[in-house]
Amino acid sequence: MRASDILGLVVRDADGQEVGQVHDIRLVRDAPIQGTFGLGYRVTGLVVGAAGIGVRLGFDRGAVRGPWILKRLFAWLHSDSRFVPWEQIDALADDELRLKAKMEALEPVRPLPR
Amino acid sequence: MSDATLDDNGKLVIELGFDLLDRQITDKDGLMSGKVDDVELTVPRQGDPPVVTALLAGPGVLAHRSHTAFGRWIESFRLRLNAIDPSPARISFGVVRRVGAAIEITVSRDELDVMSSERWAGRIVTRIPGS
Repeated sequence: MRASDILGLVVRDADGQEVGQVHDIRLVRDAPIQGTFGLGYRVTGLVVGAAGIGVRLGFDRGAVRGPWILKRLFAWLHSDSRFVPWEQIDALADDELRLKAKMEALEPVRPLPR
Repeated sequence: MSDATLDDNGKLVIELGFDLLDRQITDKDGLMSGKVDDVELTVPRQGDPPVVTALLAGPGVLAHRSHTAFGRWIESFRLRLNAIDPSPARISFGVVRRVGAAIEITVSRDELDVMSSERWAGRIVTRIPGS
């Protein structure tokens, strides 16, 4: 599986309600050791939301410096973003991703501080 | 990473799209060796979350990632060019030394499939009179 098979997919909750699109894949470094790199990266979940613009620019991250007006704008655009734990994924299809949970049960994304 | 982000358990957390995709890859000598066009994820056991196992690079990989008709055309065009290996250039995550502003690896870029397109283009260019 490639990351690009997941990024951009439309996400629907258990009731078929659209949650948004996959904007990013969150990783934690606690997977088994891989060669010289040491501990590997494991997928913990997905960052899902309606607005994708600004995600790759990092304006949604707490400690990223930038024009305050852009930071406010992107914070507002991403205020509806949700974190989907990997365990909540029910089915992965070609063009959408179905969750076990309802949208109301999903927590807001905690932005990475940097 | 100097700007490391730790989770509640003190483990390093990153975001694949922001921290890995499109990053410059530099080899053991610091030479530029392509960019991360996609990332290979492997499910170790049924029901387990995927782990990052390799970085993928090269025009064919980027075309696959674009999910557009033009991307599919580029991918099929590469497949028709027998001179270029159609399989993606794969860099095992086990040879990564550091993930930062660039992705540093511990091998020479000459050992990577990612340079096959460049070598192929070089062979063509050297045949052009005056080159």
